[in-house]
Order: sequence, then C-alpha cells, then structure tokens
Amino acid sequence: MTLPLIVLLPLLGSLVPLLGARAGRTGSACLTAILPLCALVLTIFLSVSVFDGQIVRYSLPWVPQLGLELAFRLDGLSLLFALLILGIGLLIIVYARYYLAPEDSMARFYSYLMLFMTSMLGIVTSDNLLLLWFFWELTSISSFLLISFWTHQSSARKGARMALAVTGAGGLCLLAGFMLIGKIVGTFDIGTILDSGDMIREHPAYMVVLVLVLIGAFSKSAQFPFQFWLPHAMSAPTPVSAYLHSATMVKAGIFLMIRLYPVISGTDAWYYIVTLVGLFTMFYGAYMAMVQYDLKGLLAYSTISHLGLITMLLGLDTRLSTLAAVFHVVNHAIFKASLFMAVGIVDHECGTRDSRKLGGLRKYMPFTAALATVAGASMAGVPLLNGFISKEMFLTESLQTQNLGGLSWLIPALATVGSALSVAYSLRLVVDVFYRGAPRFLPKEPHEAPRPMRLPIEVLILLCLAVGMFPAQIVGPLLDVAMSAVAPNAMDGQDLSLWHGFNLPLMMSIAAMAFGAVLYLLRGGLNSFRRDFLVTDAKYVFEGAVQRATAFCARALDRFDSRSLQRYVFLMMAMMLVLASFGLLRMPVLMGEVPMQPLDPYIIVGATLMATGAIATVYFQRQRLIALICLSITELMVILTFLRFSAPDLALTQLVVSTVTVILMLLTLFFLPQQTPKASSGIRILRDLILAGAIGIVIASINFAVLTQPYETIGNFFTEQAKPGGGGYNVVNVILVDFRGFDTFGEIAVLGIAALGVLKLLNRMKIFVPTTSAENRPWSPEYYPTIFGSVSQVLFPLALMVSVYIFLRGHNLPGGGFIGGLVAASALIMLYMARGVEWTLRRLRVDYQHVIAAGLLVAAFTGMGAWAFGEPFLTSWFDYFHLPLIGELELATALVFDLGIYLVVIGSTMMILANLGKLATPHSPAREARKASTKSTTMEHH
Amino acid sequence: MEYLGFLVELVVALLLVCGGLTAVVGGIGMVRFNDFYMRMHGPAMSSTMALGCMILASILFFWFHTGTLRFPELILTLFVLISAPVSAHLLTMSALHLKLPRQSNTQGGPFELNEKIDQD
Repeated sequence: MTLPLIVLLPLLGSLVPLLGARAGRTGSACLTAILPLCALVLTIFLSVSVFDGQIVRYSLPWVPQLGLELAFRLDGLSLLFALLILGIGLLIIVYARYYLAPEDSMARFYSYLMLFMTSMLGIVTSDNLLLLWFFWELTSISSFLLISFWTHQSSARKGARMALAVTGAGGLCLLAGFMLIGKIVGTFDIGTILDSGDMIREHPAYMVVLVLVLIGAFSKSAQFPFQFWLPHAMSAPTPVSAYLHSATMVKAGIFLMIRLYPVISGTDAWYYIVTLVGLFTMFYGAYMAMVQYDLKGLLAYSTISHLGLITMLLGLDTRLSTLAAVFHVVNHAIFKASLFMAVGIVDHECGTRDSRKLGGLRKYMPFTAALATVAGASMAGVPLLNGFISKEMFLTESLQTQNLGGLSWLIPALATVGSALSVAYSLRLVVDVFYRGAPRFLPKEPHEAPRPMRLPIEVLILLCLAVGMFPAQIVGPLLDVAMSAVAPNAMDGQDLSLWHGFNLPLMMSIAAMAFGAVLYLLRGGLNSFRRDFLVTDAKYVFEGAVQRATAFCARALDRFDSRSLQRYVFLMMAMMLVLASFGLLRMPVLMGEVPMQPLDPYIIVGATLMATGAIATVYFQRQRLIALICLSITELMVILTFLRFSAPDLALTQLVVSTVTVILMLLTLFFLPQQTPKASSGIRILRDLILAGAIGIVIASINFAVLTQPYETIGNFFTEQAKPGGGGYNVVNVILVDFRGFDTFGEIAVLGIAALGVLKLLNRMKIFVPTTSAENRPWSPEYYPTIFGSVSQVLFPLALMVSVYIFLRGHNLPGGGFIGGLVAASALIMLYMARGVEWTLRRLRVDYQHVIAAGLLVAAFTGMGAWAFGEPFLTSWFDYFHLPLIGELELATALVFDLGIYLVVIGSTMMILANLGKLATPHSPAREARKASTKSTTMEHH
Repeated sequence: MEYLGFLVELVVALLLVCGGLTAVVGGIGMVRFNDFYMRMHGPAMSSTMALGCMILASILFFWFHTGTLRFPELILTLFVLISAPVSAHLLTMSALHLKLPRQSNTQGGPFELNEKIDQD
C-alpha cells in the first residue's frame, strides 16, 4: 500500500498550494514541499527491498474489462527515475520560490508543478501499459499548463500549444502501439509484457508496434523530426524549463524506450531507426546550440543534442551501451538542471538572457559563475565530473558497433565530432557569459542571487563532483539495480571507475576537447554560415499549419452545412420519407389480420376537427397568432383521442404540455413580427406540399399496418407485472419510475441539460423588445389586470395542492411526477403572467438551477440507494404499512425517484419559461449575468 | 320511493333541458351577434348557466342512484365560475384596448370607447 502513496502524495500535493495560498511565498513553498518530501522518504524506504532484488508491486482493478489496472511497480529503473523526479522536483520548488515574481500566482504554479510531478511519477511506476499511457497524457496536459504559465505572453501560449499538439499526437500513436502490444501479448501487465519480448519481435505486426511506440517516445523526447517543439517551450518560467527539460518531461520518452527495451529492441529495424535518429538529432541539436543567442535556447538545443546521444546509445545495442544511456540520463539531469537554474539566475538578475548583451558576469555574481562553470564543464565532459564518465562510456561503446559493415568506423568518428560540438557550446555558454568581455545595455544592474536561490544548484554541483570522482560508490549500486530491470547481465565486467588507462576512448575524448576549443574560436564563421539559411520560425510554420487545417475544415463543413433551418428540416424529412417508404414498399399487403373497428360518429367528428385544425394552422401560418389558435384545436382533439382510447395519463400530460407550449410560443411570438412576409416561391411551396403530403401518407400507412398487425407486445408483461413487480396499479407510472427507471433518469438529465442550454443562449441574447404592436398601437398601460391577479393569487396554493395530489397518487391512479411537475409549473407561470416578473421575483426567491440539480440528485441517490442492499442501480422497493389513523399505506422508493422527476420538470420548465418571459423586463438573463460579473469584478478590486 | 324517483328524474331532466337550451342559445348568440362586445355574452352563458345546470343534474342523478354525494363536480363548478368571468374580463379589456368597433345600438359606453362614438 506504500507504493501508490508515492504517486498519490504529490497528487494531493497539487491541492496544498491552493489551500496554503495565505501562508506567504516562503510558507507556500514549504507547505508544497512537505508531501513530495514524504514521497521521497517513502521511495527511499521502499528502495531497501528493491536493492534486495525484489520488485515492489501493487495492483487494484480499475476497469478490468479493458485490462486497465491501477497497478504500480517499483523496480530498479523506476526507483532511479523516481529519485530523480522527486529530488530535482524538490530543488525546483525551492528555486521557484525565489525565481517567481510577487505578482505571479505561486499557488497556481506549485499546483501545476505537483500535478506534473504526479504524472511523471505515474509514468515511471506504472505496471500497466494503459495506466502508463494515462499518466503519459497527463504529463502532456500538465506541461501545457506549466509552459503557458505566463498566459499573457503570446509566445508562451503558442509554445505550449505546440508542445501539447506534438506530444499529444505522439501520445495517440503510442496508444495505438500499446493496444497492439496488448493484443499480441494478451495483457497490458508490464511484468508479463517484459517477459514476452520474443513473442512481440516475431509477430508480423512488430514493425508497426515499433514505429508507433518510437513516434510516441521521439515526440516526447524531442527527437528528429519532432525536435521543434522543445525550443519554443522555453517561453516557460525557468524553473519549469529546468524541471521539464532536464529530468522529467523529455526523459519520459527515454524512459519508455528503456522500459520497453527488453521487448522491442534487438532487431535491425530498432538499430537503424534509433541510432540514426539519435545521431542526427545529436548533430542538429549541437549545431543549433552553437548559433543561439538566447541562453535558454542554447540549453534547449543542447538538451536535444544530449537526448539524441542517449537515444543513439540505446540504439547501439552493444553490451554496455544501455548502461551508458541510463548513466547519462542521470548525469544529464543533474548538470542540465543546474545549468538551467544558473541561466535563470542570470536572467533574473540581469533582466536579459541574450548572450550578445551579457559578458564578464564573473565580477558581479562570482558564486553563480563558479557553479555554472562546473556544470558547463560537466556538460563538456571534463574529467573529474560526472559528464566525463558517461561520455567515455559513450565513446567506448561507439567503438564496439559493427552493424554498418565497412563504414562502422564512422560511428566513433561522428561521436567524437558530436562531443567536440558539445565542448564548443559549453565553452560558449560559460566563457561568453561569465568570463569574456563586459555586459552591455543591460536592463538592470546585475548582482549576485540570494543564497537560497543558489542552494539547489550547489546541491546538484556537489552531486556532479561526487559522481565524477567516485562513480562506483555513489551511483554504482543504483545503476546496478536499474540495469537489472533492463538487461540483467549488463553490469558484469563493468567498472565505473574514472581511470581506464591510456586507451582509444581517452584519446578520442582529448581530441574532442581540442577540436571543441577550435570550434569555439571559429564560431564567428559558423554564425555567418548560419545566416546563409532562410530563417524559418517553427512557431509560425506550426501556427500556419494549424490555421490552414482549421480553414480547410471550415470550408469542408460549409459544403454540407448551409446553416438554414429550412434546409435541415427538408433534408431530414426527405431522408425519413425515403427510409420509411423503403420498408413499406417491401410489404406484400398493408392490412393485417386484426379486424377494423366499426366507425364511430365521435371519432369521425374528432378526426375532422383535428385535420381541419392542422390545415388551418398551415393556411394561417403567416398570421402567427391565428395559426397558434388553430394549432391548439388540433392539440385539444389529440387529448380527446387519448381519453377516448383510455389513456388518461397521456391525456393529462398532453393537456398540460400543450398549455405550456402555447404560452411558450406566445412568449416567443412577442419578439417576432406579428406578420411574416411571403418568403417562399410557388415552386418551393409546391415542393414542400408534396413532401409533407407524402410523409403524411406514408406515416398513415405505417400506422395502419402496425395497428392491423397481430403481434405480442411487451405491454402485456408490464400490465401483468405492474402490481406484483412494481407495487402500483398505474402501469404507465410504474413503467416510468420502475421498469424503465434508467431511461427516465436519462430523460430528466437531458431535460435539465436542455434547460441549462436555453439559459445559456438567453444569457447572451440582446433582443429587440417591441414597444408597440404591429399596428403601432402602444401596449396597454394596465400590465397586470387586478381581477386576474387577485384570482390567480388565490388559486395558486390550490393549484400547487392539486399538483402535489396528482404527484402523490401517481403510483396507482393517473398522475405522477411528470404531470404533477407540469401542473406546478403552469401554476407558477400563471402567477408570473398575472403579477409580473417584478412581483413574483420579490416573493419567490428560487433558483431554478438548484431545483433541477436537487431533482437530479434525489433521483440519483434514490437509484444508488439500491447499492446499499446489494442490488443494481435503481432497483425499487415497496412495502405496506399499517399506520394508526391513516390506515393502510404503501411506501415505495419509486415515489422518491418520482420526486426527483417532479423537481426536475418544475425546474426545467420554469427555467425556460421564466427566463424567456424575463427577456423583455429589466431582469433579463443577459442583464443579470452582466450585473453578476460587474459585481464580482468590483469585489475582486476591493 | 318510486314517486321520489320520478320527482328526482323530473328535476334532472328539467336541469338538463335547461342547460342544453342555454348552451344552444349561447352558441346561436356567438354566431348571430354583430360586434365583439355582444358576442361576449354567448360563451359566458354557456360556460356558467349551461354548465352549471348540467353539473347540478349530474350531482343529483348520481346522488340518488349511488347514494353518495360527490364533491369533485362542485369543485368543477367553482372553478368554472371563477375562470369564466376572469377570462371574459381579460378578453373585454383587450378588446377595449384595441378599440374594436361596436354597433351603435350596443348598450353602455365605457369611457375607452367614448371618443370613437363621438367621432361617429
């Protein structure tokens, strides 16, 4: 159980800064550091058993159907990375305290940082590929937040977007690769996958897996051709760069390659792709680092170059190359983090990081200069420092490779040249900034940084020296246990000592130093060579590509989306006609075996009236009020039809629904012109007439066919089971709240969402409120007639009582939450209409959003209540009680669920109608929203 | 008892006929009257007098035959009696606001319409 805490503690830690925002800057930093410190202690505690050769594991099923488990493992490799992440993370917390300006939000920064730390720890300790991928994407998102921390800078936003797009796209490829691996091996468990390397390598899809996984790893680790995002991520605050681009984010890709090394390496494809990409990236990064003026840009490209080196080492596939890669991961993290922090200090204290303006800073900040010099020397690979040892190993291993046949000698040669470039840009960084020349045109007088700000660098530099001088003692055991997870016998015959005698790698190293110094002296030539190239800013290329893609999609969308309601309805209806008549055409006979009922004069009259109403509605469509009245004739006839065929529930619902609908339409009509101009040409009218007629014919035929066809419906089951199964005599209600409770739950959720959507639309609406009618007659001065007002006020409680009565009796008699809610809503609307918004609002302080939310919660909790008894969601329960005075009483959980429906219906109906009604008043939603926002901003100002 | 039965049925029949007649008269009025203000009388008659008679008849009939006095019908009457004048009032108010034309022989002249008559 200790293991998941390592990931969980920093996750909790992401909340701490928000809570500790009042603790001041130092207090906030200290509070933030507590939980990762605990995680570090836990990691060290667990490392005891890891050093004993065990793998600490912990697993909890999450979505077992998908193979997703909350599984963690701590083997040597995870331990190594976890220590790096937590250790450097803690140093970054200290450093950021002094780096961030007082106006930057510390809480936000630390919160993002902790989230990022969580996701990195998650990657390195996952024992499940899907979980690993989950954390992998989480790093993309949290690094996006970190890089764009200074949201006011356009470059920060663009850089963050680019990083997110590139690493996110890579993540998708990775997911595909993981799915394939899961398919081949049959599980996502990393422990099993690590043991089935041969199965994957021999599988025909191996190439696809390899390429997909490598795209994911390369995009994260900024390998060619995905290297372009990393320099632009330098717009982030320096602590972020120091963390993301030394020890964590970019190392995630490397970690992935090392983690899956036993599974996907060892083939020719692996060798060629990884080595060549690494080699090229190393050279490209080194060259670009030489010609950067921005110090962070220099460091960014040098990071790319060193990542290329590590990648190449992973590709080389000689016995010790993987060890060298892991070792260099550690060394690079240490010296690059300290260099970033040193450059951050320079930037912080001088106000610029342009190498052309800086120079001779040794006089102003001697301590920082000394620290940066050691770190730079380590990056260059000077003996007695940690960079030297891993570089020696790199050169040694480059000599071992034979895969290029006769051209194999090129690899060590190029490795030497790459090291030389590394020496050259290290010299450029250290000498140009701290030793040569004098600062020019600095925005502020440079001075030494405060002591605590240098502390993290000092710690790292001490590590540099310690590892450089006593490698076997300091990191030997850690590397040993890390390698045991990757290549079990890699450490045999290897000594991590400083001195191997005068051998070829040492010669190469010396040659690299000399050549690097020469390159440094010739850098003017390199710069003029660079000027011969057309400068393209990857940011603009990327932005352009994004915008072109957006424009293309918009054009493609315009092709089939005309944004015309008439067109949509026409297409939808035509489609429906085609589909429906297709089925009808295949029927041999329309009429089934059920005999027709005898004609009934009431039905003839009703049907005639219904048809007349419909035709009149269409005929009067340009005089909307009259059309509305005609429509209500049809609705009335529908209600009577329901009654005629014994569906009182339906009739009741329809009655209230049509009332509410008519009010809704009247409200909308108020904002529309009273008369519509003739808009359709004769041909269009004819077309629509034919379409409508055809649909009418087809639907009538289908109805006829369905009604005359004898078949067994599920209805019988419901009718029989309503009493014994659901405890109610009203089948309709029992179906709604019990048999199909889950459907109803979804429906009320949709209803609530629709109401919220309407509110959202109305919030933004600035509408023309007509002050006169169409004939230029002003509105009546008597807004709220007295008689109507008093009567409806008296009727209101009565109406509410009726609604409660209808709601309560619903289980056994016509009624229920739906109808009851609608009745209550129409009572409320009556009050609004009779007394006006002003009056009602003063007396009825109900927020309908809360009513909807309360209803949904009641319904959901009632459903969940069943879990407590080990039953599935929404299982209902009922029983009969005998109460004194009241008598026999049935209590059912379905009633509570129905209460949820009742509340949601009231809330949604009122939210739509009341807000629509308020549009014309000073209480319109848009004004209210504006008022609320100005109030909150003034509160912020105070 | 039989005599009582006949008496009750007589009353019920009378009420029904009376209600039906009122409804017909109201309907004819709707069609025949010439201006809006007079037409208001028709529906008001059918919804109060006619409906009231029929509901009374129903109450009496079922009271006598089933022996229970049912109140829902009474509530129905109450609601009709409340809503009919209110809606009539609202309708007339809007008619007055719209200054709908009226026949010169329509009785009564609310001040809203006076200027119209003066112009005539």
